[in-house]
Amino acid sequence: MSEKKKKQRIGVYICHCGGNISDYVDVEQIRDIVAKEQNVVVSKNVMFACADSNQKQMVKDIRELDLDGIVVASCSPKLHLHTFRGVAERAGLNPYNYVQVNVREQCSWAHSDHPEQASNKAAGLIRAGIHRVASSEALTNIEVKAQKSVLVTGAGVSGMRAAIDLARMGNQVVLVEKEKVAGGHLAGKGSVFPTGQKGQDLVNTLLEEIRRVQNITLFTEASLEKVTGSIGNFKAEIRVKGEIMTFPAGAVLVTTGFDFYRPKEGEFGYVPGGRVMTLEDFDRLIDASRGNLVHGGRPVKTVAYIYCVGMRQRKGDNKYCSRQCCTAAIHSSIEFHEKCSGIKAIHLYRDIRTYGKNEVMYERASKNGDLFLLYQENDPPVVTQAKNSVNIRVKDTLTKKKELELDADLVVLVTGMVPRSDSTDVSAKLKIPLGSDRFFNEIHPKLRPVETVINGVFLGGSCQGPRNITESVQSSLAAAAKINAIIRKETLELEPIIARIDPEACTWCGKCQEVCEYDAIFQMETAGKVVASVNDPVCKGCGICAPVCPADAIDLAQFTNDEIEGMIDGFSESVELLQAAGSESGEEEKTTGGMKDFPREWRTIMASLQEEPLTIPQISSAVSLDPELVTWHLMTMNKYFIVEPAGLDDNDEYYLYKLKNN
Amino acid sequence: MTNTTSINLKITEMSKIDLRFADELKKYGAREFDACFNCGNCTAVCALSEKNTNFPRYMIRLGMLGLKKEILSSPEPWLCYACGECSDTCPRQADPGLYMAAIRRYTISSCEPTGITRLMFRSNPLFIIITLLVALILGFFLFTLKPEMVVSRWIFAWLPYAVIHSMGLVIFGFAGVSAAWGFASMAIRLSKDQPKGATQKVPVSKALGKVISEVANMKRYRDCDEGEDSFWMAKSWWQRPWFIHWSVMWGFIGLLVATSLDFLLKDPATNNWWPSRILGTIAGILMVYGATQAISYRLKKVTRIYRETTLADWTFLWFLWIAGITGFWLEIAVALGSDNPVNLSVFLIHTVISMELVLLFAFSKFAHAFYRPVALFIAFRSGNALK
Repeated sequence: MSEKKKKQRIGVYICHCGGNISDYVDVEQIRDIVAKEQNVVVSKNVMFACADSNQKQMVKDIRELDLDGIVVASCSPKLHLHTFRGVAERAGLNPYNYVQVNVREQCSWAHSDHPEQASNKAAGLIRAGIHRVASSEALTNIEVKAQKSVLVTGAGVSGMRAAIDLARMGNQVVLVEKEKVAGGHLAGKGSVFPTGQKGQDLVNTLLEEIRRVQNITLFTEASLEKVTGSIGNFKAEIRVKGEIMTFPAGAVLVTTGFDFYRPKEGEFGYVPGGRVMTLEDFDRLIDASRGNLVHGGRPVKTVAYIYCVGMRQRKGDNKYCSRQCCTAAIHSSIEFHEKCSGIKAIHLYRDIRTYGKNEVMYERASKNGDLFLLYQENDPPVVTQAKNSVNIRVKDTLTKKKELELDADLVVLVTGMVPRSDSTDVSAKLKIPLGSDRFFNEIHPKLRPVETVINGVFLGGSCQGPRNITESVQSSLAAAAKINAIIRKETLELEPIIARIDPEACTWCGKCQEVCEYDAIFQMETAGKVVASVNDPVCKGCGICAPVCPADAIDLAQFTNDEIEGMIDGFSESVELLQAAGSESGEEEKTTGGMKDFPREWRTIMASLQEEPLTIPQISSAVSLDPELVTWHLMTMNKYFIVEPAGLDDNDEYYLYKLKNN
Repeated sequence: MTNTTSINLKITEMSKIDLRFADELKKYGAREFDACFNCGNCTAVCALSEKNTNFPRYMIRLGMLGLKKEILSSPEPWLCYACGECSDTCPRQADPGLYMAAIRRYTISSCEPTGITRLMFRSNPLFIIITLLVALILGFFLFTLKPEMVVSRWIFAWLPYAVIHSMGLVIFGFAGVSAAWGFASMAIRLSKDQPKGATQKVPVSKALGKVISEVANMKRYRDCDEGEDSFWMAKSWWQRPWFIHWSVMWGFIGLLVATSLDFLLKDPATNNWWPSRILGTIAGILMVYGATQAISYRLKKVTRIYRETTLADWTFLWFLWIAGITGFWLEIAVALGSDNPVNLSVFLIHTVISMELVLLFAFSKFAHAFYRPVALFIAFRSGNALK
């Protein structure tokens, strides 16, 4: 905690926001009241605080008036926090000596039906802001030295491709692979769409490049044991052939990939090695065959594909759609037709999701004579093994849910992607959460799709969710680019809104370390005693440690006791705001006090209609209410059958209205 | 929604998918009907699918799945008039109109017991061979009527008169029995598999009346091709397919009646017996007009369904046309009383072709003349007539 010297030269800018605020909040009166405060040097209203012109003016004010703190009362900080921090910086003021007060979303917009109360509330909020900035500290961003190296876990297509790009951009890469060989699922793949290249060829191309680019160290048969540290300075322990090796890393990229769903024994008649097999097995079979396909000693001429096996389970574990398997299955069917002749294929599907360019494959399959049959989840096909074939009974929605029977030589279960069984292990080691689908979770699916809540740990590829090869590589390359942007400067700047522990007050009870979700608190010896200390780059500034400390030794930057108490004081001081009685701007507006006047207004309108039907202008002058308001009331009354139109007036200009029960 | 389902097999029966049937059916003139992806556009546009919102999509689906039994026991294919709106509308260019024609041929082939029809529809060379063979036999047969001619003596030298006579009887008998068998089998198959105890069992007399009315005025056919952007909207009623069919049909029937009347009642001494002559002339004009238009539409390929015409269809139309034209020739020749070899040849052609049409009635597209009314009757009876 720095010196408790309060700011004395504060500038307050209250925004009209073009009417959004000033239409409800009496910004002028508040400006005048605030200007009387002792520590406020300048108090202004501006039309749009965020406008370039006003920003320039603010910079001028800060410099010329030697302001040491500013309050901007306008919209939510979500919009312009960084705008005004920028203003402060440009003017030479510490950006953390600026406080944003939200009098729009949290005041004028929320209380547009009570402008009086809204004004009072805004005055309170602004006063609180002034107290807060008075106690604010000048903070500097935390600088962290970053290692220019990256740990990539998993040498599948995503990991390998990202590693190559990271290395090309000048970073050291440690690529860790659990299996004996790199390549992941791509290595076993027959041919890919649309280039038709073999998976192993693609893997070889990548491995060649890895060898050529100097900075990548690939470890196979290696597993990740432990990761400690924080962004810029991770320490990774890897077990390679029984030995533990330690590497520094600036960031970690998780590209551990997926597993295929394995059907349970008996699911759709599945038996390992039998005539009912998974798509993965089927692909290998096609790949290994030359000419015609033979299985169990018999030629295979009729194949049935059953889609959505283990996926899209309304009541099961896997509620999601695995995205790429429709494409994969149809691709396999096309491959099969190309390799062998006289084939008949039937696809038992729930939906066909050959999205994007893959649609042309559906077309091809259809031209090959493949038949498509739609089944419902609650009435799936029944598969029974016969002596030399497989019998399927299914109700086809396209044929009026008629129950149909089919004998096939082979049944292929189109299974989707599931998270790897070791993903919980990885999640625990890196402290990155799993989503409800048990794949790794990103911070925000649209705005921050490759970052995790752990600063410095990124996601790429299918460990994040089912996707095809293109999409996997796209995401891991995106993560690589983000990683490079962060660590290339070799220093990182982090926001200083973190927890701080006063070593003098701390008596090490351990409670703060207990509650910290991010393991950001550690024990430290200083000046002869053991105290708690915050690991600055790891701390996320959540503030949960602050209230549990019995010695009140912890505070959160920008949320210190002084600041919060000041805000409470500021808000609770009563402010006398004069009533905004009528024409301030001099317009002829007959204002009302709001909804509580409505019953009275309705009574006067209805009374005026007792004698005879009247037009709106006539009613308006009879009851001394604004014609617009009268119109509004009449329409509501009309809707609820209290009045009704009664023809046009003599000049054919206005409608007459009368009471309904007359 | 639908009042009744048109296909309503016993619930316990399971239908077996036959993935090879689609290729089989294509041999009967269906094109890429298995490109169908069940959008239902054909059903939406079909003038017949008012009550049953399944036709013709469901029939196409049956073909793709290879459910032969269901196809053979449906009356729907025989309610369709091949207007071709479905083919025009199909986004996959799967030509449902041609598919419907193909399953009609398939049905005729399946019901007819000898398998000759199947051969004729599926193989163009065989079709030609069989047609020529029958023509030859008929020709021989005719020559027995004029034993004094040179050609006759030449034939009888090679093949005795008696043999030809017996052969003729056998052939006609064979054709007749096959025809009867085929028609009976079709009628039985169709009526057996209609929903039993359907609440909307229409009385026989009413159903019969409806059939007769439809045959007389082709009302349902007229409703086909009434689509607003249909090619036929711009044409006059006497150019439209329903009228073309009406005139060919009633023309042929009229000629049949006229010829029969001549054969039965005409005094051989007179050349012309006016009642039958008037009937024959008017009917002849109708038939020739209809056949001419039909042929011209197919030659010009005016709409999508006319783009493909099978050999069987061409043969049928040309035979009708030639029979009609030669008929007029002979009418004039008889009126002028001339008796030269050219007229005799024309007479030969006329008779052979007419007899071919009659003989091959059961083995060709012509069988529709029986199948359609029977199917219509059964459909009306069980309330399944689509609209």
